[in-house]
Amino acid sequence: MEQTKEKKIPKISFLKIWNLTKTFFSKPSNVILVFFAILLTLTVIYPLISLILDSFKVQSISEAKEINELWETSVKKGDFTWAQWPNLLFNKQNSDYSLNFFWDPLYKSILMALLACLIAVLGGGILAWFITRSNIPFKKYISTVFIFPYIMPSWSIAMFWENFFKNTTIASCNYQMGMLQAMTGICVPENLLYGLLPCAFVLGIHYAPFAYILIGGILRNMDANLEEAATILKASRFKIIRRITIPIVAPALISTILLVFASSISSYTVPAFLNANNSFTSISIAMRGLLMTAGKKGQGYVVAVILLTFSVLILTINNWFTKSRRNFTTVSGKSGQITKVKIGGTQTWVKWLVCIIICLIVTFFAVFPLVTFILESLEENSGDITTLTLRYWLSSESFDVRITAQGQSAEGIFHNYTIWKAFGRSVVVATLVALIAGTFGILIGYAVSKNRHGKLSSYVSSTAFLPYLIPALSFGAIFFSLSFTSGFKFLNVSTTNNEWSAVAICVLAGGIKFLPFASRSGTNAMLQLSGEIEEAAIINGCPWWKRMTRIMFPIQKSSFISCYLLPFISCMRELTLFVLITSSFSLITNVLQYFDTYGLNQISNGINLLIVLFVIIVNLLVNKLTGASIDKGIGG
Amino acid sequence: MPRIELINVSKKWGKFVGVDNLNMVINDREFITLLGPSGCGKTTTLRMIAGLETPTSGKIIIGDTVVYDSDKGINVSPAKRDVGFLFQNYALWPHMTVYKNIAFGLENLKWKKKDIDARVTEVMKTLRIEEFKDRYPAELSGGQQQRVAIARTLAPKPKVLFMDEPLSNLDAKLRGEMRTELKRLHNDTNSTFVYVTHDQLEAMTLATRICLINKGVLQQYDKPLIVYSRPANLFVADFVGNPTMNFIPAEAKRISKDTLSLRLFDIEAIFKADKDIELPNKSIIIGVRPEFLPINKDGKIEGLAYSTLPSGMETTVKINLHGDILSAVQFGLIDYPIDSKIRFDIVGNGIIVFDTKSGESLGVGSLTIKK
Repeated sequence: MEQTKEKKIPKISFLKIWNLTKTFFSKPSNVILVFFAILLTLTVIYPLISLILDSFKVQSISEAKEINELWETSVKKGDFTWAQWPNLLFNKQNSDYSLNFFWDPLYKSILMALLACLIAVLGGGILAWFITRSNIPFKKYISTVFIFPYIMPSWSIAMFWENFFKNTTIASCNYQMGMLQAMTGICVPENLLYGLLPCAFVLGIHYAPFAYILIGGILRNMDANLEEAATILKASRFKIIRRITIPIVAPALISTILLVFASSISSYTVPAFLNANNSFTSISIAMRGLLMTAGKKGQGYVVAVILLTFSVLILTINNWFTKSRRNFTTVSGKSGQITKVKIGGTQTWVKWLVCIIICLIVTFFAVFPLVTFILESLEENSGDITTLTLRYWLSSESFDVRITAQGQSAEGIFHNYTIWKAFGRSVVVATLVALIAGTFGILIGYAVSKNRHGKLSSYVSSTAFLPYLIPALSFGAIFFSLSFTSGFKFLNVSTTNNEWSAVAICVLAGGIKFLPFASRSGTNAMLQLSGEIEEAAIINGCPWWKRMTRIMFPIQKSSFISCYLLPFISCMRELTLFVLITSSFSLITNVLQYFDTYGLNQISNGINLLIVLFVIIVNLLVNKLTGASIDKGIGG
Repeated sequence: MPRIELINVSKKWGKFVGVDNLNMVINDREFITLLGPSGCGKTTTLRMIAGLETPTSGKIIIGDTVVYDSDKGINVSPAKRDVGFLFQNYALWPHMTVYKNIAFGLENLKWKKKDIDARVTEVMKTLRIEEFKDRYPAELSGGQQQRVAIARTLAPKPKVLFMDEPLSNLDAKLRGEMRTELKRLHNDTNSTFVYVTHDQLEAMTLATRICLINKGVLQQYDKPLIVYSRPANLFVADFVGNPTMNFIPAEAKRISKDTLSLRLFDIEAIFKADKDIELPNKSIIIGVRPEFLPINKDGKIEGLAYSTLPSGMETTVKINLHGDILSAVQFGLIDYPIDSKIRFDIVGNGIIVFDTKSGESLGVGSLTIKK
């Protein structure tokens, strides 16, 4: 038997391999997979590995000196070393150093992220339940406006928080009066204005719509019969939620928690805005500090690697949960006939009360920030309505000679060429990033949906999602170090002195960083298309690109446009990712920060208003014209 | 003992009328099927009785309790109506094992753990699913999921059991088996069954009474054989039976209390009803079941063989009669070449006469063709 078996093993001939390769590449989806496997390895995996290696490398001469003194070694710049890790984590010379620069920030950041998760998931989840499962009125208004805090930059909510709660009893805000004090006279204590708690609140508010979209998507798709079956078997309303609804949405809930946690823990801008006198050092602030200090860069990379490990862990847990054997059986039923829960039963005032409370809360976080930005940009003295002026918008005189001395404009917003040039560049970056991320996302979605269980396709789809979990600052750091590599120096704005270098590298970094949700929603949209739709076109001899542009795209038009919308909006409001690789004048977000550091609060608030309005208007316009929406962009 | 009564029940969504002024009584231990084309309001009716849907107006009584009354503002929650409900897609909870799915309802009734265990084991045995006890629904086949769903519904011993197209997701063979099982279950459980289906064969074979609904309006509510042999109108006649009833337009003249003289195409015939008959218009439609069209060489009517469809035990022959296609059923395997001449008769005493204008049945009787 064995002998015959041996004989039957065919000789591997060159021709055979060539034929197999030809068959493999005759499918466009395979070509796309191979292309993205290579591209993502180069742009995601390779930088990751080099980041890990950097944490084991002596980064500078001063670092070498410190390591040699501590460990009695003789390493030079560029040598391999283990020392960075114990130096940061368990510094034997100064244990307070490890505590202050790593353990304490890490602990506080985890606490902040957990709190933010709790707020986001509770807020978003409860609202999702009300919208999908109850009979409250004004659902359309609530769900439109509730998305605003997610569309707005997270730091603009932080700015709003500051504008609203600052008061004349707190030194850290220069004793300025905020809206709450101006309206009610209430002065909140400092730890409600700056520090861990407000950061968690702001992040929670920012990510609550995100949780709402993900949980609401599941609730909407969940078969209502599952709950009705429990009703018939005499389970109480509360028991149904506890024993049926929550366990069934649990996988989505857990993945929401993990995603919010991942983005909160590495958030840089919010702690940076709500951190007076360095009272609250988050892990991201600690990392930036280390990366920016000459002798500590290596330790900064260590922090980046640790944050990364968190992310990979989160991704693994997430995959494990969604693949468990209890997973969703999607038998389509008569789910259209959902019986909405009647809030308050026959007493309609309860329903209206709930509705009014929800509307108030939602409006407060969506509309109030805009109001404070408008007011702050118009008030000579913050919080003082009697000092209204339009000069920060209209004046053609310079407000600060230091700015003019740098060759930049410090005039009123409408006359300020620094602002409008940066705004233009931001739009260019956002548009290009959206085109790249969206198109790549759709192509990846196509290829992955055609090879659902292949190893290569699962590699491509998880690599494409990985950038979401890499902290924006570390991601920026990767491209930062790239721009110092010979051959890529044309991308470094500080050496070329050309803002378009910054635009180019931002497009590169943004295109990859904002790929995750584009690829995810692209995959979802493609999976919804049955294979026969494309096969019918193949039978008709329709070439691949024509199938894509004439059949696939028109059918899932709104989903695909959503693939472009989310990267555009995310990019328009992004600061953390770009802060290392741009100059102070490259993008509108840079300029905002620039004016903020020069104390021109009115102008920075005005810029903020511009960004937020622009983003919201684009979102609503695209939504109205094409039916695309942020919900679909997230893949919920 | 539960007797279900619906009085003037209507359900409207805006201008769309789902169920229009429905009146019916379901007696204890009956097996009722709500039959009709999709979208006719049968599922809505069932869900209204169960309490999953709120009627727009009317009154529903289960047993001695009024569970819904639009005038008095009574609306008892489904949990308190003491009914069981079997969903079309089974609605098994994906995160619970088979055992937990079945036990859930009993837990809600605050049964003792020992009793729950005994009852769950009992129903699992009845439905032959003991071996799947610890599996999750996703790990079962369609037929097994179906059994689990039935077990879950039966476990609390409901006196009334509602089923919403429970067999439509199964393959033909399994469907046949489950029909047999359901009929036995009805006998064993001593409960009232209300069953929604669009499959007239299922309704015929299972029900003690069929309730036929079209566009939200009750068409006929009778025993299966009555619905089959004495349909109330053209819709019922057309919906029930496979192959469907033949409809032949004719002109009629009343010649005595129970006799009509007919003219269909160029054929003269006498129709004798089994009761007295009224004739509002002279234009009528004659309904003839395929089994009343025997083909034989000496048949009095001549047509052309349009198509022959043998299915083994019997053969359906489509006959072209002056452009109208009629169906005849013959026992055994026969084949006629296409467009060959066929002679046949109209026999039996189950011939029905409908009024063309209203579609209502005028009477049932026999037809004699004059040579």
